[in-house]
Amino acid sequence: MKSLVSSKFVSPVALLEALVLVLCLGSFVPSVYGNLLPENTQIHGFASQGFILTSENQFFGDSQNGSFRFSELGLNTSIQFTPDFQFAAQALSRQAGPGDNGQIHLDFGFLDYKWISNESGALGMRLGRVKNPLGFYNDTRDVAFTRPSIFLPESIYFDRTRNLALSADGANLYAEYRTDAGSFFYELEIGYPDVDDRETVLSFIGDSNGVLDNQLSYITRLLFEKDGGQLRFGLSGALINIEFKSASSPSGDGMIRFRPLILSFQYNSERWNLTSEYALRYFKYRNVGQIGDFTKMGESIYLQGAYRITPQVEGFLRYDLLFQDRNDRNGAEFALHNPGRPAHTQFAKDWTAGLLWGMTDAWMTRVEYHYVDGTAWLPLLDNPLPSETKRYWNMFSILLSYRF
Amino acid sequence: MRIREKVYLKLKSRRYKHNLATIFKNMKRHCVTILLVFLMTLSAVSGAWAQDVVVHPEVDKSDISRNALRAIFGMRLRKWSNGEPITVFVLRDDSPVHIEFSKTILHMFPYQLRRAWDRQVFSGTGQSPFLVNSLEEMRTKVASTPGAIGYIPREGVDEKLSVLKVR
Repeated sequence: MKSLVSSKFVSPVALLEALVLVLCLGSFVPSVYGNLLPENTQIHGFASQGFILTSENQFFGDSQNGSFRFSELGLNTSIQFTPDFQFAAQALSRQAGPGDNGQIHLDFGFLDYKWISNESGALGMRLGRVKNPLGFYNDTRDVAFTRPSIFLPESIYFDRTRNLALSADGANLYAEYRTDAGSFFYELEIGYPDVDDRETVLSFIGDSNGVLDNQLSYITRLLFEKDGGQLRFGLSGALINIEFKSASSPSGDGMIRFRPLILSFQYNSERWNLTSEYALRYFKYRNVGQIGDFTKMGESIYLQGAYRITPQVEGFLRYDLLFQDRNDRNGAEFALHNPGRPAHTQFAKDWTAGLLWGMTDAWMTRVEYHYVDGTAWLPLLDNPLPSETKRYWNMFSILLSYRF
Repeated sequence: MRIREKVYLKLKSRRYKHNLATIFKNMKRHCVTILLVFLMTLSAVSGAWAQDVVVHPEVDKSDISRNALRAIFGMRLRKWSNGEPITVFVLRDDSPVHIEFSKTILHMFPYQLRRAWDRQVFSGTGQSPFLVNSLEEMRTKVASTPGAIGYIPREGVDEKLSVLKVR
């Protein structure tokens, strides 16, 4: 509890310092690009500060009274030694309520080598800490400029288990194949995802007394893009293996297998675009603390339309659905077996409308409004008592973002 | 411009000089004149917007497929067939020449290119192209950087640059 309180006070200062650093670098680096940096080296970065206001429930801090505890800072470098051999790394600091305290960590850092690279395609491998290729947005989920909204559709891009989805230490084998009909992009990643942050642990094992240990896991994605990306299709899946080490008895170790499958679709025209993703999430628990053995299949889908009103202003509307168990969509059965955990913790139906204003190439402001029925993706660290969460709630958010 | 002004003044003076009947009589001629002016304007505009893909004169290539060109400007294809690194130069996203180049040559919208660069830069899988601030800078940078590629309006092409035909 003490560390929680202190982090509350320390991190904003550290974040402010980091923000100043990023802004200074941002104004300094581009002006000296040609002079100081070698031509094959690039430095980029971003900084975002959000404000969140909720009618009920807490989202990233004390949002019922208005929370500024949502910020993202990143700084990356890439060095292209040869056209086929590159190094890239990014440091990231993110503050998101009690779940993420702004501590700087390595978001990715890898060597990238291509065996083949020509007009018809490429074949290569990345070694190190690599971003997990899941859906359309996971690879750059913390960069506001690459997201369609302030918060990604939570049904698929949970903030709860984000560290698990973020990156993995291992190898990423990739292939590109370009044809007249369109281009194929394939990635296969083998590595150890991060499972030991508190929000992830809470989401997976609740109050069970034990720790999670990552095991070798597999993530794969196939993307097809037609006409330079006017039509995009994606299929991604993962086999994520986590060991549960019981703290109460050494023989009580268990296993969690998590198998998400995501289908993605996008249509882009000059003025508007339509995006939809559907996910099935299979969980299998074996001998995990108080939870014991069980299997369940979660289900998620969102449909999102965006319209470019002027080149600088874009509006969007989205409907996002999440069911923790597709055989118990209204959560009634769950509530029956779990006293103190209301049925509405098992689903979330989120209507979102938002506006983006690209003030310059470097600066952007976003506003968005959520009307949510259900709390299935509400952060657990922000809302420790499920019984006190409200089923219907509203969220308003503003984000100011800078990049270079 | 001067011709267009002359034609306009001519039409205007005629309208004042003649009554309605004469105008109807001369309708056919008016139509021809208006059509001519329209066509001249159109050809002037489209001429100004026609873009050429240009490369450093030592790049050993005279034509390229649209797919390969998209891969180059999308920063996915980073070397020529002889292994030489490709250096990509682009104008600002909101530059009319950049918009026209994206749409008519790559058959993509500028925001798609921007997204592709951002995705790669912030996932470490690629780099962003070099930004130039004017057509003059584009011309000198492409002409002086080995392996460089860029684009300029057709009438600006000279012997210091090679044109890459899009198949």
